Amino acid sequence: MLTRRRLLHSLSAAATATLALPEPRAWAAVGHGPVVHPAAKADAIIVLWMAGGMAAPDTFDPKKYKPFEKGLAVKDVISTFPAIPTTIDGVQICDGLPEIAKVLDRGTLIRSHVQPDLGSILHSRHQYHWHTGYVPPQTVACPHIGAWMSRVLGPRNPVMPAFVNIGQRLEGIGENEEIKAFTTAGFFGSEFGPMNLPFPEQAALAVRPPKGMEPGRFASRYEHFKKLVARSPQREFASDYHQESMLRSLDNAHRLLGATERDAFDITLEPKEVLERYDVGGDAGRFGRGCLLARRLVENGARYVEVTTEYIPFVHWDTHDRGHETVARLHGHIDRPIAALVRDLESRGLLDRTLVVIASEFSRDMITEGQPGSRANDQANSPKDFLQQPNHYGQHRHFTGGSTVVLFGGGVKKGFVYGRTADERPCVAVENPVTISDLHATLFSAMGMSPKTVYDIEGRPFYATEDGKGKPVEAIFT
Amino acid sequence: MRAVILCGWTLTSTCFFAVRARAVDFAHDVVPILRAHCGECHAGDARQGGLSMNTREDLLAGGDSGTPGLVPGKAAESELLARVTSTDPDFRMPSEGPPLPAEAVAVLRAWIDEQAPWEDGFAFKGTAYEPPLALREINLPPAQEGRANLVDRIVDDFWRERGVARPPRCDDRTFIRRVSLDLVGLLPDPARVEAFVAAADPGKRAALVRELLDAPLPYAEHWLTFWNDLLRNDYTGTGFITGGRRQITAWLHRALVDNKPYDRFVRDLIAPTDESRGFIDGIVWRGEVNASQTVPIQFAQNVGQTFLGINLKCASCHDSFIDRWTLKQTYDLAAIASDKPLELARCDKATGVQAAPAWLFAELGQVDAAAPRGTRLEQLATLVTDPRNGWLSRNLVNRLWHRLMGRGLVHPVDALRARPWNEDLLEALAGDLVSHGWDIKHVLETICTSEAYGVATPAVAGQPQGADFVFRGPLPRRMTAEQFSDAVWQLTGTAPAKPDAQVARPPAPGGGPPMVRAALVKGTALMAALGRPNRDQVVTSRPADLTTLEAIQLANEQSLAEEFARGGAAILAAHGPHADAIQAWMFTAALARPATAEEAAAARDILGAAPSVESVADCLWTVTMLPEFQLVR
Repeated sequence: MLTRRRLLHSLSAAATATLALPEPRAWAAVGHGPVVHPAAKADAIIVLWMAGGMAAPDTFDPKKYKPFEKGLAVKDVISTFPAIPTTIDGVQICDGLPEIAKVLDRGTLIRSHVQPDLGSILHSRHQYHWHTGYVPPQTVACPHIGAWMSRVLGPRNPVMPAFVNIGQRLEGIGENEEIKAFTTAGFFGSEFGPMNLPFPEQAALAVRPPKGMEPGRFASRYEHFKKLVARSPQREFASDYHQESMLRSLDNAHRLLGATERDAFDITLEPKEVLERYDVGGDAGRFGRGCLLARRLVENGARYVEVTTEYIPFVHWDTHDRGHETVARLHGHIDRPIAALVRDLESRGLLDRTLVVIASEFSRDMITEGQPGSRANDQANSPKDFLQQPNHYGQHRHFTGGSTVVLFGGGVKKGFVYGRTADERPCVAVENPVTISDLHATLFSAMGMSPKTVYDIEGRPFYATEDGKGKPVEAIFT
Repeated sequence: MRAVILCGWTLTSTCFFAVRARAVDFAHDVVPILRAHCGECHAGDARQGGLSMNTREDLLAGGDSGTPGLVPGKAAESELLARVTSTDPDFRMPSEGPPLPAEAVAVLRAWIDEQAPWEDGFAFKGTAYEPPLALREINLPPAQEGRANLVDRIVDDFWRERGVARPPRCDDRTFIRRVSLDLVGLLPDPARVEAFVAAADPGKRAALVRELLDAPLPYAEHWLTFWNDLLRNDYTGTGFITGGRRQITAWLHRALVDNKPYDRFVRDLIAPTDESRGFIDGIVWRGEVNASQTVPIQFAQNVGQTFLGINLKCASCHDSFIDRWTLKQTYDLAAIASDKPLELARCDKATGVQAAPAWLFAELGQVDAAAPRGTRLEQLATLVTDPRNGWLSRNLVNRLWHRLMGRGLVHPVDALRARPWNEDLLEALAGDLVSHGWDIKHVLETICTSEAYGVATPAVAGQPQGADFVFRGPLPRRMTAEQFSDAVWQLTGTAPAKPDAQVARPPAPGGGPPMVRAALVKGTALMAALGRPNRDQVVTSRPADLTTLEAIQLANEQSLAEEFARGGAAILAAHGPHADAIQAWMFTAALARPATAEEAAAARDILGAAPSVESVADCLWTVTMLPEFQLVR
């Protein structure tokens, strides 16, 4: 095991050696100090992102339940849904997720994921932390974990983009600049950044000719272009690095746009019965259609695919009011599609080498904002003592002390639970807490990438997990 | 000399230990051991754990633990010996690789017991280069063949010394396209191209450079991109949502239009007015942030990086492992801008040590730590812009050279402490800036009127690496996202109707409102894909390569496709359905040259006998996708 001290030990000389280089370089690549990548347990990863703070007590970590009634004492209730049994003996999740309950025996629950409370809850800031491993602000633009995998592991098929981000609009929603700040490859450069597909049903357009251009015209335009290049008086620069890389990128783009892999982006090519398993219809079905798209992309060689329920302030999982009602609706958005994805990957023989992760930036609670003892400002109006109105029934405060991550496939144990939160408030992780760094280390390790992977940027080491300290949760792997 | 001293010492020392037959020879026995086993982390610039072995004093002082590195005469009580003989993998040194051979341990033990003698004046020297604080006076080599430009006098000499043949001049068409894109960020107008090519005046290149620099708005709105990146200024972005950030756009635009002298420019940013305070105000995040990211620390980092080419980011958490800057220096600089007393935090943990407002080069004077913040900032501004501070002028001319030549005199441009490939040239250009009243345009003019800038660019087989680099003229540079957008808008007439930036834009001479430039609008998805950064941090260079994801956007992004479609219609309307008229205009407008016969035939193939909106749009697309178009060469 390489200690941090040893990494730093080797680093200074390596950093000095690479100071003159303009590109971030893995110092391991220049011959100093071994970063030993673990053997990959998974080839691809699908992160199902419950944007806005998915309440563990109302999803995967049920606690004591009481239905709403006028005058309900908040201290008497933690979950607003009753628990239901799952295919793991003795393990329950919340009512509303019956399909996931049926496939839960294929997966592992980490019920002790914890996040810092950062003194004030700003979703985009916590999401930045979750997606990059670093709390913003930072002195350099941090790469998204998908960009790390894209940079270190690359796509599994050279025609496919390595990193695809499904379901999140980057314009026209609140906090979009904040979302953009981590939906990026950061200092790795845009080559390793995400291909953003906000609407899965329109993904095919991203790899089609622009609207109003016939495929034949599109193809012939590129043929004409190649002829023009061949006739250019600048042929003398044919070996020129800049020119050559530019032409290669244009060619790759047109290969994807002309290749069979292009069809991976088109979910309408799925048989109707498959589409129906994923798609619960209308706007509610957007997440499920994203899951289907993710499966198609992974089948065709994508490395990291994220599907989000989409972050929009105060919408979806970001329940500041009407929490119970909203979460009941969200159960419907995710339950069937996630179960369909797991079953589908399994029946295609892909689940063993595809890691599926359900995660969120933090959990929620009826009383505590942030963590017990936090100085974070309360952002909800629901009373903390007795409830008089149904719209106050739900998890309206942001809770960072304990949340659940569900993992399927990719070498994780089947039917396993790791960590535990307290049964009474505050429902903090009381057993085996897993930080963001450690969770990332777990995901990176599963994918065959050392959490200590380090690149040199501006003469400074920058690690895949903060300071290279993330430790994988070995216990969850078979 | 060294040998004499050491021999003298050797002769007077007593031979008392058994392992070796003779007394320990510092230079021959000890130095190689320390260099081989310890030097990587504790010599030169490296001081891991706070320990440097550069000098005997350093080694005696020890590292962060406070334990002396050794006790002369007492090997058994010395940390160095304890470390190299330990079996605890987390304590043992060296921390990697095999332990020291027993023989080497014996040498060190004997050496320490012998009072650890050191050769006077000997130090383990780092390889890093330390630029002098003040600019050096340069004696310019004589001009060769009348090539009197400051740059040429030095570069010609450099080429002569290195035996590099002078590259040929580029042709006039290449020159006008290159210099237009470099100085005003726009494609040259076809008529201007032809007039320039036709002119017989031998001074026409210099006249063109002056003409471009004398166009205040085009100049300002091109360089706005460069400065927005460097000053972390944007019209939208993180921080605005919570009121934690301010723009400096109006001030910056005016400063560029007015060509504000650089010393005053910097003064306005460090000791700002309400309009220019956004730079030092940084980005305030709601909630708690890491100690290395507070607003005062952002101030220290950004002042260091943007103005001085000094990277204090490592030293915001701990003494830099790779540089000479310390945590205390960073905090002291930050304290100048802090409203409150600042306590040093090491790796986000409070240390109990208070920062005292001070800047990095006390040789030039110091801020008055007791003065109020506003006064301290003014004092800092005065010190930073003191002509004797060579870092300010060197850093700017290096960045300008990087933009114009594709590679810095010091490269990469973030840290000025790497050795420039030509020290004299850096000093001379920096001196030229200062002696010409900090006139940025003067430096641009000096560089762009040099023969070194006006040569044909070489083909480059790969990214030049470190020491291999030999300057042979400007490297091809990829258009920025803004240059590409502007160029497409010029060709298609599809620039946005209104800028997002709130700036004063006088009408173009003899015309309507000037074209809205890409630098004045919020970044679009397309621009982001083409490398326009989120300006949450200071950004000093753009991605050099077109990536596949970007290429997909160029092929099918809807807004770009619509611009080509509208451009197709406009071009068809302007030139009529005549393939030859269209291609003749298109090549000159886009590439500043007519098509060759072969190319004209290819263009006619695309346009067809009766050009349509679609075929014109497609023809324009193929021309703008050419590397020749997308590279500034």
